[in-house]
Amino acid sequence: MTVSQAIGLCPSLTLYEPDPVHYDEAFTRLLHTLETISPVIEPSELGRVFIGVDGLETLFGPPERQLDLIAQVAEKENNGEEQWPSRLGWARGKFAAWVAATRAKPDRPVVVADDRRVRFLAKQSVAVLPISSDTHRRLWQLGLKTLSDITRLPESAMTSQFGAEGRHAWQLATGSTVDPVVGRERPEPITTGIDFPTPAADQAILCYALGRLVDRALTHPRRIGWRVHVFRVRAELESGASWMTQVVLKDPSANREHIVAPVTVRLEQQPPTGAVVHLAVEFLGFARGTDELQLFARDATSAARAGRRGALHTAAHEIKTRFKRSLLHHVVEVQPWSRIPERRYALIDFEP
Amino acid sequence: MVANSRTPVRVDRLRALNTPRPVRVEIDAHDKPTTVTDAGEHTEQLGKRPTEKDEPSSPQRTCSVNDVLEIWRIDDEWWRIPICRRYVEVILEGGKHVVLFEDLNTGEWFEQKP
Repeated sequence: MTVSQAIGLCPSLTLYEPDPVHYDEAFTRLLHTLETISPVIEPSELGRVFIGVDGLETLFGPPERQLDLIAQVAEKENNGEEQWPSRLGWARGKFAAWVAATRAKPDRPVVVADDRRVRFLAKQSVAVLPISSDTHRRLWQLGLKTLSDITRLPESAMTSQFGAEGRHAWQLATGSTVDPVVGRERPEPITTGIDFPTPAADQAILCYALGRLVDRALTHPRRIGWRVHVFRVRAELESGASWMTQVVLKDPSANREHIVAPVTVRLEQQPPTGAVVHLAVEFLGFARGTDELQLFARDATSAARAGRRGALHTAAHEIKTRFKRSLLHHVVEVQPWSRIPERRYALIDFEP
Repeated sequence: MVANSRTPVRVDRLRALNTPRPVRVEIDAHDKPTTVTDAGEHTEQLGKRPTEKDEPSSPQRTCSVNDVLEIWRIDDEWWRIPICRRYVEVILEGGKHVVLFEDLNTGEWFEQKP
């Protein structure tokens, strides 16, 4: 049901706008959790992730057991707060696995054994092929409705008609190509430390040293292009004991103040029990993109979007304060299918 | 689904976009427009048609019609207040493309993007 249909049925409906930053954070958390099962994780888009399962059979058992485990891990990540109905598919190659997942139900994964893969794909509609809408349309116009229709054609025919895209579609339909899962790049942890010539117990000194260590870690070449998500501060005490705190930033950051602030609070609330002889900062988890350079990366895009939205909210608030009413509007679909032009879209006050 | 985290949107503050703009049109013997006179800008609410009380805010300007491109008709919402419109796409002098429609219930003419 579209939004406009819902408004038509229920005029008092309250609409909520999507929150892509929240989705992105939740998806990143899910990816971190899935890495406890397999080190080869490939997020293809928000909400879709491929997991490399080579070698997992000896660890976790057959595919059904692996999928159960993944479902359990995802459920655990939910923490009982939110409902994430996940659909799981298991097959050789990303395309077949994705098609299997689209055929699965939330509580019923689909496993396609390798000897059934070609037959399974043959039954599918051409709509599952990752090709342009124009090529989809042309396939339908040519009467090619399922992948089996495509497999009956020679590869050269598809190539001559649709070029490289047609060749790729033919290879996917016949199962002759298997696209492997490519794990995402994760930088190694970055550690910086300092030895105190005389044991330090003064919090001001510790905070200053902490700031210097964070500065040094942020300028590390491996950190470039990544924002810090998880980091740890360790202290070796004069007495031989140790002190440690770990911080998970809600918003990954490459900003010194954002990183230092939570540790400063913990230093005040739960200070080390003795004088510190060695202090170390370890950046353990990273998110792609930086605050300074927000280009190309998906995380960086969402951060930029969040920044733009924040600026827009501030501007809207200032305008409303000055003029006593919101002068900003945004366009919503009302009846986009309507033959009456003025019924299709409407303006609504923008109230962040 | 994930938890909602944004301010709810007020659906009672909807204002229609692309509302018809009243124009005065002279037609020939074949009911085809020959001249179009701009009746000015109006601000309207959703579903509200312009009335005679609405004052034009810009000076009137008359253009002759160079060519009539396409004519089509829309009949809709017969179950409540019927909407019967005859749309005419024309080219005005100077080459500007404009879509006009005649409200067949009232005989009034409007300009609107299709």
